[in-house]
Amino acid sequence: MNVETWPLDLGRESIHAQSALGQTEFPSPQFAQKREQAMRTRTPQIVALGGGGFSMEKDSSLLDDYVLSLTDSRRPRICFLPTASGDADHYVVRFYRRFSTYCEASHISLFRRDQGGAGVEEDLASHLLGQDLIYVGGGNVVSMLGVWRAHGLDDILRRAWHKGIVLCGPSAGSLCWFEEALSAFHGPPRRIQGLGLLPYSNCVHYDAEPARRAEYHSLVGEGMRRGFAVEDGVALHFHDTHLARVVSSRPDGRAYEVEQMGDKVFEAALEVNYLGADTVTPLSIDRTVAAA
Amino acid sequence: MEPTNPLLDDFVLTLARAQEPRILFLPTASGDTTTQINAFYARFGGRSCTPRYVSLFRLGDLACSLEELVLAQDIVYVGGGSMRNLLAIWRAHQLDELLLEAWRRGTVLAGISAGAMCWFAGGVSCSSGTPEPTVGLGLLEGSLTVHADGEPERLPVWLSSVRSGMLPGGWAADDGVGLLFRGQQLERVVSSRPGAGAQRVDAIAGELVRHRLEPELLGGEEPPCAPALDDDVRELRRINRLRRKMTGESHRFSDR
Repeated sequence: MNVETWPLDLGRESIHAQSALGQTEFPSPQFAQKREQAMRTRTPQIVALGGGGFSMEKDSSLLDDYVLSLTDSRRPRICFLPTASGDADHYVVRFYRRFSTYCEASHISLFRRDQGGAGVEEDLASHLLGQDLIYVGGGNVVSMLGVWRAHGLDDILRRAWHKGIVLCGPSAGSLCWFEEALSAFHGPPRRIQGLGLLPYSNCVHYDAEPARRAEYHSLVGEGMRRGFAVEDGVALHFHDTHLARVVSSRPDGRAYEVEQMGDKVFEAALEVNYLGADTVTPLSIDRTVAAA
Repeated sequence: MEPTNPLLDDFVLTLARAQEPRILFLPTASGDTTTQINAFYARFGGRSCTPRYVSLFRLGDLACSLEELVLAQDIVYVGGGSMRNLLAIWRAHQLDELLLEAWRRGTVLAGISAGAMCWFAGGVSCSSGTPEPTVGLGLLEGSLTVHADGEPERLPVWLSSVRSGMLPGGWAADDGVGLLFRGQQLERVVSSRPGAGAQRVDAIAGELVRHRLEPELLGGEEPPCAPALDDDVRELRRINRLRRKMTGESHRFSDR
């Protein structure tokens, strides 16, 4: 465990004090226990980007900055999962370009686990569970979920979420957290099952194609869970499974809640906080109790 | 797809019933890298066939359904990479069922490394870092291990898996060696390199019984398998390519 990046208030002093006492085991069992307790009190958080962040917005870092601010660490440990792109090299390079100067950045390539030097070669679970933030890249969500399951990442990510590690991502990196989703950006429109951490449905790139709205409404009308439709540049911030806030890197970014009532599908616009505004509405008091 | 040796690829082309076979490349196991796709077109682009590829990460590029595409092929050629990812992604897109159907209909299924082992009951894959027995699609009953000479760390893992019964008996193939199965029957063992070989290994009463198989060396006395293209065919292709480009149906090499 790299104590330099440890984000909690168990500061370096306390660690050094314990080292000075001649602990042979590091971290000490007491420290590990305190850490576990601290971790358990962190609220699970997911930031689901409808599109945007470093991979889609060259001229704005507002969404990425927002996500980083949630880690309460001065130098967060951030791990990138580019699985949905087939671990495309250019995507990995752009990730490091964006984050490596002020984060402990790493990535996991599930296609190149046999090759040294490409990403993380140690135990996947211990690496991922030691992060402050896990950033999932865009691409094809069906292919990504297939690969994740084959390597046990579905289970590891669920544990990471319970532990309070911030999970985020655009596009496929948004759809994957939900119970159901409309996948259409990298293939024909399709109703898919996600990891199910968030008990809703999700539709991203809501403004990208005119047919998207009709497709999503018709799926919700056919019995898909109520859920959230999100435009590029807009992100849903969940505390536990509750939508705490909607933020945007664009002044006109929009997001909607879509729900079937009776035999009709209704769409309600959500209040969006533009992150570039001089004052951003402070986050309302968390209604959720920290997950045990 | 050996970079400087086309003998095995030409051999694959001769197995299709069509004179100018439609050959579909699946680079899934690599994560659909541009390098692998380009190598495929470099090899098959100038040969007597209609090459095409499909990316399961960028299905938006596909104009028809996956089923229509796969079942219209004479040959499906699978690239190497992570065997575990390959099978997981195929299952997620139900491509495993389509390939089984294609096989039943007589489509030639071919592949290298992970793309070779995937057709068998199992193989030895380094998908998690170190070599380990990995379950395949099971179209062929035995198991296969590849790179028996090129990556020697796989072979002992395979042998002990066969001995313990974790994998069924099967074949170990050196680099440059191809095994041709008709149905379940091993019909020919061919090689693009002198000295390369294969072996059949079975566990009988807890003991390994090994038989060496001597491959036929390709490209020796035989006439060239796939004749070079005539000039008029080249001309026609150029026109077709241009036409496809104008209607926007040409394949795309870009990653995103």
